[in-house]
Amino acid sequence: MAIDSYRFLDFATRQIMKAWAARLEPGVIPFTPLAKPLRECTVALLSTAGIARNDDRPFDQEGERRNPWWGDPSFRTIPLGTTEKDVRLYHLHIDTRPGEADLDVVLPLRRLAELAGEGVVGRPAPSHYSIMGYILDPTELLERTVPAIAERLRAEHVDAVALAPA
Amino acid sequence: MIPDLTRAAGVPRLVAVSHPMGQPFGRPGDAERQRAVLRAMLELLASAPGPGSVVDLPFEWHQTPAQARNASKDLPQSPIAELLMKKPWLVPNLYTGRIPQESDAATRMSDHP
Repeated sequence: MAIDSYRFLDFATRQIMKAWAARLEPGVIPFTPLAKPLRECTVALLSTAGIARNDDRPFDQEGERRNPWWGDPSFRTIPLGTTEKDVRLYHLHIDTRPGEADLDVVLPLRRLAELAGEGVVGRPAPSHYSIMGYILDPTELLERTVPAIAERLRAEHVDAVALAPA
Repeated sequence: MIPDLTRAAGVPRLVAVSHPMGQPFGRPGDAERQRAVLRAMLELLASAPGPGSVVDLPFEWHQTPAQARNASKDLPQSPIAELLMKKPWLVPNLYTGRIPQESDAATRMSDHP
């Protein structure tokens, strides 16, 4: 079975996503082999669902409403142990209700802990991350947000990160 | 979830799954599906032979595409969709990624946490 998630999109969104996919040039794809066995790796998760803890700053939705070509390119840290009770999802382009009903729908921290318990991976990192995925101009994301997240990952000795679009 | 687009972005490893947007790991409460998707991502870290490796997960979704779209029908339109309804001549900008300059695109810097 071909993996076709376009079928869940409305016609206009489908056409735009196809146009974006056709326009992007992958160039040289980076690749770093795992440096140690998976069962010894510290793993972090990153979601584009716009997750922010209730004790943290929301993603800026007013800014996007003022200028719909702009999306908040900042990030939030989501500590291990965070559940749907502790967060909201700030994303004006997806249905946020499933992820707010069960955080593992978008950021599977409990599933990661279970897989660590089974020995599939070494351990979950102490910190995980979210950005908000509607960003048409990625300049600030690439120049500020990504390096800031990478610095934190290094500080927590994370070996691998699983990126999950939403 | 839109594997064409993710592949075009040049990710090192890709797990493709046919789920609706907003539910990449599976529906609420479906721990088994969530674990299977995450496990496939983690195992690909070790098994990928090189850059651009893709694994397709042949999972069924419990709703038809029409049912899945209908489940989100009550949501308000996004700001960009609202704008383009009013100013359809800007639609090509969204397709091509050329952000119109007149639209107060002064890139706002939000403080990093």
